[in-house]
Amino acid sequence: MATVKINGKEITVEDGTLILEAAKGAGFDIPTMCYHARLSKLASCRVCLVEIVGQKKLQPSCVTPVMHGMEVLTESPVVKSARSSMIELLLANHPLDCPVCDKGGECELQDVTFKFGPRNSPFGERKRRFHEEDYILSPVIIQNINRCIQCKRCVRICDEVVGASVLGSIERGAKTGETSFVKEYLDCDHCGNCIEVCPVGSLMSRPYRYQSRPWDLKGVDTVCTYCGTGCQLTVQARNGEILRVISKPDKGINNETLCARGRFGYSFINSHERFVTPMIRKGGTLEPVPWNEALKAIKDGLTEAMKDGRKTGGIASGRLSNEELYLFQKLMRGVFKTNNIDSGSRWNTGAVKSFANVMELNKGGISVYDALNADTLFIIGSSISDENPITDYLIRRLSRNKKMNIIIASPRGLKLDSSATLSLRHRPAAEGDILGGIAKVIYDKNMDKLKDLTGKEHLKNISRENIPDLTWTDWSSIESVSGFMLSANSITIAVGNDVLRGPSRIESMHILAEALRLLGKDVKLFPVFDRANQRGAWEMGVHPDILPGYSFRDGDGLGSEGIIDAASRGEVGALYVVGEDIVSDFPDGGFVREALRQVKFLIVQDIFLTETAKMAHVVLPGASFVEKDGTFTNQEGRVQRLRKFIEPQGDAKADWEIIASIGEAVEPSFHYGSVSDIFKEIKGAVPMYRGIDFEGLDGNGAIVKGSGIGGQGAGVVAGFSLRPKSEVRSQEQETPDPEYPFILITGNHLYHSGRLSLKADTLRDILPEAVVEMNEEDAKAMGVSKGDKVKVKGDRYEATLTAHINKRSVRGVVFIPENFTDVPVNMFFTKGKGFPRVKVLPLSSLSPQGRGPG
Amino acid sequence: MLSEGAVKEINELTGKYANSRSVVMPALYVVQREYGYITEEGMREVANILGLRPIQVFEIATFYTMYNKKPVGKYHIQVCTNISCSLLGAEYIVDVLSKKLGIKVKETTPDKKFTLSAVECLGSCGTAPMMQINDNYYEDLTEEKIEEILKSFR
Repeated sequence: MATVKINGKEITVEDGTLILEAAKGAGFDIPTMCYHARLSKLASCRVCLVEIVGQKKLQPSCVTPVMHGMEVLTESPVVKSARSSMIELLLANHPLDCPVCDKGGECELQDVTFKFGPRNSPFGERKRRFHEEDYILSPVIIQNINRCIQCKRCVRICDEVVGASVLGSIERGAKTGETSFVKEYLDCDHCGNCIEVCPVGSLMSRPYRYQSRPWDLKGVDTVCTYCGTGCQLTVQARNGEILRVISKPDKGINNETLCARGRFGYSFINSHERFVTPMIRKGGTLEPVPWNEALKAIKDGLTEAMKDGRKTGGIASGRLSNEELYLFQKLMRGVFKTNNIDSGSRWNTGAVKSFANVMELNKGGISVYDALNADTLFIIGSSISDENPITDYLIRRLSRNKKMNIIIASPRGLKLDSSATLSLRHRPAAEGDILGGIAKVIYDKNMDKLKDLTGKEHLKNISRENIPDLTWTDWSSIESVSGFMLSANSITIAVGNDVLRGPSRIESMHILAEALRLLGKDVKLFPVFDRANQRGAWEMGVHPDILPGYSFRDGDGLGSEGIIDAASRGEVGALYVVGEDIVSDFPDGGFVREALRQVKFLIVQDIFLTETAKMAHVVLPGASFVEKDGTFTNQEGRVQRLRKFIEPQGDAKADWEIIASIGEAVEPSFHYGSVSDIFKEIKGAVPMYRGIDFEGLDGNGAIVKGSGIGGQGAGVVAGFSLRPKSEVRSQEQETPDPEYPFILITGNHLYHSGRLSLKADTLRDILPEAVVEMNEEDAKAMGVSKGDKVKVKGDRYEATLTAHINKRSVRGVVFIPENFTDVPVNMFFTKGKGFPRVKVLPLSSLSPQGRGPG
Repeated sequence: MLSEGAVKEINELTGKYANSRSVVMPALYVVQREYGYITEEGMREVANILGLRPIQVFEIATFYTMYNKKPVGKYHIQVCTNISCSLLGAEYIVDVLSKKLGIKVKETTPDKKFTLSAVECLGSCGTAPMMQINDNYYEDLTEEKIEEILKSFR
């Protein structure tokens, strides 16, 4: 500890604390320009200079640590004059075109000048001028370098946090400016974090340009509903029209960073394609009706459909709020009298149950910052850079200044590979064998200590010889990963959705984690979800075998897949689907469509008339994330508030209100007046939520706490069942077929998540159409380069797409994002089979006449 | 496109440095030799070989004046105009060259033979005023000396 005097005030701080931070703690405001708390320190603007008594030269407080006994002056005459001169130098070349600058009113240079700067400007020289007109740098950025003050915050955030490294400082001396390569159109994440950190109006948001002055905006702090990271964001509107989304430095785990989807993916809210009145099917077409008529139709239809003991079922999106999901399962179990409910679309229900068990989700959440405080971080089962961009940014930023070995296993090359110590490229669906292989090496090396390892007999199936065939990865890489784990004291395994495709992966994960724990390692398992409230959905009991609060049961309830199978056999009388477009998303779209045709009474609740909604007997207009209240539980187990900001469009209603009114229509006691009432009930039903104060939830939310004793790693889990590996494998692994040489994998794209993002015009500008991503060598072998049109052909579906190249992806695999309505990738899938096999045909070879000479 | 030899040379350079960003400077000299100046294509090629983003090469190319961002003549005359040379008449030297070549600073003669540049310190203050033509120093300059030097290049 060091005791220092700042402006005469004595304070004691940790050794190594920067003067700037110490002064802030003592209540003194030191201005800064280039300083940014979460970026590397530059100390180039010299605006934060302070006087240290006894030292002749002023020192930049943003990089100078305190020393015991130090006496610092932040407001002495010499500091004031130096500071003012520094600001004067920044202004010397700044165009001072504030009236036409978007940043006016929230410009750090304006504020610092107003408070600390000179009151006149003696510079008479011509100002440097790079260009006359602002120029477009990307679909989301417009630049005016003349205003740049060379703080390099944009360059640093792009490099250190985002990992795109597309901005740089060009020229030198007074002519320096921050921009892209030869003013080229940026090929990056389009996350806009450079805009967020720009202290002046040099980098500006294109969608927000000239839309408003900041003081005219009204905003609300809420949570992003795109992925499981759960970022805090601030939605701002002028006269009720949403104009931008920003993020605040002191809010949420994302502190000031957002991805393209979070920052620019809001305009679907005002899309004219939304349907905003309830509709019921009358003579083949959907016709608008008032709410009471729709509810009556539901009540009648339900009674009719449930006759003759037909099944009912419900599928709800993992992007609904906890309150909605809780009410949904209550409605299904209480009113529809069924356990046939599910949230995910692609996952094996048994795998979900094992996953929840092995990950010990019922023991409470884990902060991502705790999870990333490990010697070794192993990421598997997630295209984390695309699915959860802010988790990727956090890992990159936090790993910069500490020794953490990052190991990534995925079929696709990920942006995070550049920060990784080791990246494994494996065959799709091989996660279980990768995890098993690692466990096997660890077990073989420590047999004496691992005598009691549960499930060790399953490792016999894996050997040095069969690993390359099973995983496309060599044994030595598996050994290296094991080596990193064995040499670490703390290990975090970040596990993505892909492991939920089958129970064998979860079994292997369990064995690996147990082995490491038996060896005395601190092992944390951290889930990575692509849906914002996936964890909440399970916690609320939206799963056939999970009741609220992870109360597991073994019953005959059906998951999504089972419901659709039953529907295809004509066994389902009524099906209620909320926020999921199962026709477009579930594997084998044709089969799903046929199955839904057999459903007697289909109720679909959504905000767009999806392919599923078009088949419904009743459609109900739900609300977008800014039109309703509620809570979301992110992948960490952090509960955060979703806040209503504008009224739902037209006759649309918050989804919880709709669910409640359906319940009430059938059983009058099913009545809920507000979200906080529902939350109160959740607190009763889900012990992990008992300690959470709904009204008191702030920007950091609250992490759910387990009711059980101990943290993670308490031992073997109840209800954990294993299936014979051979059975699992035969279901998942496709047989090689020379005619269809590629395996097709799907998932979210960096710029799109789910289906709503496609209705957001800025995101559509960034990526307007589906692409197919392939390995560079594979592309070369076919003569395909980036941007070429190719035809991807499976045995039952084909699509013409633009080729993208991923240098680091595994050969023999192509990836198509699942977000594009006009390229429903689920059509490639055949029910009951694993990943589809496809061939890729360059378009030139399809139509040679189109590419002839001359 | 860079010649095979140039690519090989850059690849060999990577062995001499701890990380790829350090290789940018010597690699840019290879580009300058190959193309005569630093071309956009050349910068992209360097980035590609070194696994960097083009901006990371561009930053360095624009920072250092020794990299020519525009085509130069066969003989690139760089006159030092930093303090020592200036005190000993660098401005006069520039004027003499300008008059004799019929071009201003930053210009190239119509026959593409000479480009005249005024540059910062070339580290030869003891022999000021001085200039550099391509890779060679010409020191203790006078008007007569310049006449002679230029003659040898014509």
